[in-house]
Amino acid sequence: MSELAELTESIKNGKRKIAVKIVTEELEKNTDAGELLAALVEGMDIVGQRFKNNEIFVPEVLIAARAMKESMTILEPILVTAGIKPEHKVVIGTVKGDLHDIGKNLVAMMLKGANFEVIDLGSDVAPDAFVKAAQESGAEIVAMSALLTTTMPSMRETVEALKAAGLSTKTMIGGAPVTRQYAEEIGATGFAADAATAVDMVRDLVSA
Amino acid sequence: MTGKELILKAVRGEETGRPAWMPFVGAHGGFMIGKGATEYMKSAALTVEAMKKAKEMYKPDGLPIMFDLQMEAEVLGCDLHWTDDGPPSVTSHPLEGNDDWSADQVPDLDLSAGRWPVAMEAVRLAKKELGDEIALYGLICGPFTLALHLLGNDIFLEMFDEEEKVEALTMRCADIAIAAAGAYIDNGCDVIAVVDPMVSQISPDHFAQFVTPAMNKVFDYIRSRGSLSSCFVCGDVTRNLEVMLETTCDNVSVDEQIDMANLRVLAGKYGKSFGGNLHLTTVLLMGTIADCQREAIGCIETCGTKGFIMSPGCDLPYDTPPANVAAAGLMAVDPEQMKQVKETLGDAENDTYDDVIIPDYANENAVLVDLITLDSESCAPCTYMTDAANRAAAALTAEGYDIKVKEYKIRTRQGVGMLVKLGAKNIPTICIEGVPTFESLIPEQPKLIAAIREVADKKGARK
Repeated sequence: MSELAELTESIKNGKRKIAVKIVTEELEKNTDAGELLAALVEGMDIVGQRFKNNEIFVPEVLIAARAMKESMTILEPILVTAGIKPEHKVVIGTVKGDLHDIGKNLVAMMLKGANFEVIDLGSDVAPDAFVKAAQESGAEIVAMSALLTTTMPSMRETVEALKAAGLSTKTMIGGAPVTRQYAEEIGATGFAADAATAVDMVRDLVSA
Repeated sequence: MTGKELILKAVRGEETGRPAWMPFVGAHGGFMIGKGATEYMKSAALTVEAMKKAKEMYKPDGLPIMFDLQMEAEVLGCDLHWTDDGPPSVTSHPLEGNDDWSADQVPDLDLSAGRWPVAMEAVRLAKKELGDEIALYGLICGPFTLALHLLGNDIFLEMFDEEEKVEALTMRCADIAIAAAGAYIDNGCDVIAVVDPMVSQISPDHFAQFVTPAMNKVFDYIRSRGSLSSCFVCGDVTRNLEVMLETTCDNVSVDEQIDMANLRVLAGKYGKSFGGNLHLTTVLLMGTIADCQREAIGCIETCGTKGFIMSPGCDLPYDTPPANVAAAGLMAVDPEQMKQVKETLGDAENDTYDDVIIPDYANENAVLVDLITLDSESCAPCTYMTDAANRAAAALTAEGYDIKVKEYKIRTRQGVGMLVKLGAKNIPTICIEGVPTFESLIPEQPKLIAAIREVADKKGARK
């Protein structure tokens, strides 16, 4: 197996020490940083697909994301020097009144793993905070999460606030009680049932 | 047979003739009695007041005492964030961010702290007032969800990095669960549901490693006390159904994502009873009465009447329209009613009740006061609401006004049609000239008389 394939495999299995070792050694050998990034992203892609297919669950995704994150800590300065940076930005948060962040964190990690720049506003995020972050960052997409039925109306308020602010930012929503029908009802651009689908949807939306 | 006997038979896996009905009234109880969840969930008297109202409105065979999986965590050092429209959330995790954490750092469950004295008082009161007729469920936080409350999201990584420590933690959480279950049993609960929603996020292998030993310890304890147990998971736990059924519980209860036909087969294979899974958001919270009836009928036809308990997938959202819950429940408790509804429901996805004619208010001389009830003869709040409307009408008639009161029961298609067409969301509701004016809470006489008089004066409705 080539080093790059081994790197992809180590991300897939959440083996952070092996991933960090390979990235470190490959950089010393002057392997192209872009190729290393591609191998890492491929690993997270496989993780996303396996998660979507119910082959793996939250803990397996989190250890893979940790391996990715630790590898990126080493790789990122090199990428910056080489002028390689994420092309697209996404603002993400759990909506106002809702403190549940496991789902949102998963989506954020998977997006980072897919090489998007993620502006994570945390949980209990008010509509105007989403608007401000979208304005300041120029993000193409605002992604919102809710676990409680009672906080879902805040998604509608955020979608409306973004429109009222004159932003053409695309919006996507997700979370246990959220449905595609609800997304259509509140005028959100998209709905994703799980973290891997969210990544696919972001890819579609930025290339649309 | 009482509702309680029916539920106990169902949990034991026996044939019950009709499905047992268990509406999970948690924070929703506060909505039923006009209180915010924060005030409601801290008061034994309010808890029992709502349970009594739920018993009248929903005709349940059993009710939970409280539906709050944060009660143990609160006492063990987690901070809570309270809201008025749902149960509290955990905002801090005492073991999080500490490399030296261990299960030994988790204190014993102090039953004199937090809301435990309130919960136990509620059990005793409910036992006295309702305990002969309906089964009382004590809901406790399952070992994995409690471990997550204590350790935070770190637990998912520690399941790989520190396997033995996490195993010890879930076993420690089983001790906490046993203390909680014991207290509920001592005070009079009939069934203990171990509610562990976070197991929906892990694999069957991880379930077997970290959860099965802890859950079995709790279920075995419950059995040793002569009580019955339920393994209850909110969320999509499709992959873990078999490992749940392999535990030593008596019953498995599941959320709306689960295929009940599949669960029925699996439960039969493992000799366990099962329960679920009315859709909470799209049907009970946001759907129409017809949606709720259709959902309940589908659920009952899929699941049968042997060892099955119909219930919402998880706890009812705070402001679920009570009429929706009542309409769904009726399908289980009154098979004759279900038969009739099934005939009139047809396959229409969007029943607009065109056959139900609402009164021609404008062309009537009298002010029409329409009462939408479950049935004023069998539902106490409906009786009082009907009585209030009749008394107000009598007082105004004595003043020379022309007032007509009519009751529409949602047991009938005409009643459901009126509720839908007039836009009422609760039962009982008083509509004045077709406008829902007083919902759920019975108005004081002067207020009700004034409201009807105002409309009558505008209309010139004199005899």
